[in-house]
Amino acid sequence: MRETEPRQRTDGELVRQALDGSEEAYAELVRRYQDLLYRHAERMAGSPDEAEDIVQLAFIKAYRNLATCQNPDHVGAWMYRITANACKDHLKSRRSDGVAIDDVPGLAGEDGDPERALEQLDLRSRIDSALRRLPVDQREAFVMKHVEGMSYQEMGELLGVSVPALKMRVHRAREDLQELLGEGTT
Amino acid sequence: MTGMDPRLQAYLDGELQLEDLPVELRELAAGWDGLLDQFARSAPAGAPLGLDRRVMSGIRAERESTNRVPKWFAWAIRPRLIRVSPLAGLAVAAALMLAIVRPWSAGPTSLEEGSVAGQVYVQFLVEAGGAESVHLAGDFSEWQPTISLDDSDGDGIWSGRVPLEPGVHEYMFVIDGSEWVSDPNAAGSRDDGFGRRNSLLAVSSVSGT
Repeated sequence: MRETEPRQRTDGELVRQALDGSEEAYAELVRRYQDLLYRHAERMAGSPDEAEDIVQLAFIKAYRNLATCQNPDHVGAWMYRITANACKDHLKSRRSDGVAIDDVPGLAGEDGDPERALEQLDLRSRIDSALRRLPVDQREAFVMKHVEGMSYQEMGELLGVSVPALKMRVHRAREDLQELLGEGTT
Repeated sequence: MTGMDPRLQAYLDGELQLEDLPVELRELAAGWDGLLDQFARSAPAGAPLGLDRRVMSGIRAERESTNRVPKWFAWAIRPRLIRVSPLAGLAVAAALMLAIVRPWSAGPTSLEEGSVAGQVYVQFLVEAGGAESVHLAGDFSEWQPTISLDDSDGDGIWSGRVPLEPGVHEYMFVIDGSEWVSDPNAAGSRDDGFGRRNSLLAVSSVSGT
């Protein structure tokens, strides 16, 4: 007889168990959402090290305030909001600086062609550099739309911002990027 | 700011298909597709290895620092107006001056071989025959598996010397970059919150204080 796989606990169950003192339950929530939150933070901060710090602090802050999560069944969205706010606070407090080539992820040996790798590196560096010059709200909306692939509706539910306002932010981000990147987008 | 054709914006929002655009905009749309694809692909696939462990370690440290303050102590340090006689005040002050806090320590579980600037070199050993690599991760490395152990003679015993501050440390071995294992020879262990147990190591200073 085939063994029945254990049922995956819901977010709400994990939150309640964590509130009862189960570290293991909170660790499961961390594992469940760390990739999503890290991707967002990395694209916002432009640096893996800073992204990791932001996400760690966001998870710790969420743990401290877990009892205030109003909808435990959607704790992931709540954690996402905490991370998104942490990213914005981080960017506002940080002075503008450049991105190190070492910080541009996913390039080494991508297709084995050094010339193509260099072209990709150049383009990604330019994109990262241009993104850093966008206002934080525009960058956030652009990352959610084009990295995380969210619909405007999903973005609105997470950020508590209207769909038309988010559309405007993304449109302006594209226009600014078009101006900053120039060739190929005009 | 340079404006962008609203039809191109609608295409990039997924509201129009490429064939809905006039021919003169299609090349531009394709350029944007490539750019956005590049941008999406430049995002990391996921969190770095061990991030969850570092988060839980931070949470545990915070909980422990909170738990370390007992309720009676919290009550005692809360400011309040009290009346006390001069004699009783002097007695309390004298008692406080005489109080000695002796830090808890346990015997070391690994070989200590000298110290540098207050640190103690600890030899870590683990048997992992057939492994390609073995790393050490612990609170002393922010749970990053960055400390390589060595098995140059190929006998399956991996070892490395690591300078550690005196105190109690938690650690694990990471086999082939992904398998986290406890030290079977550790003197103690504690739940790591992931269904495994972190190994415990107590390091005392060379002088034994």
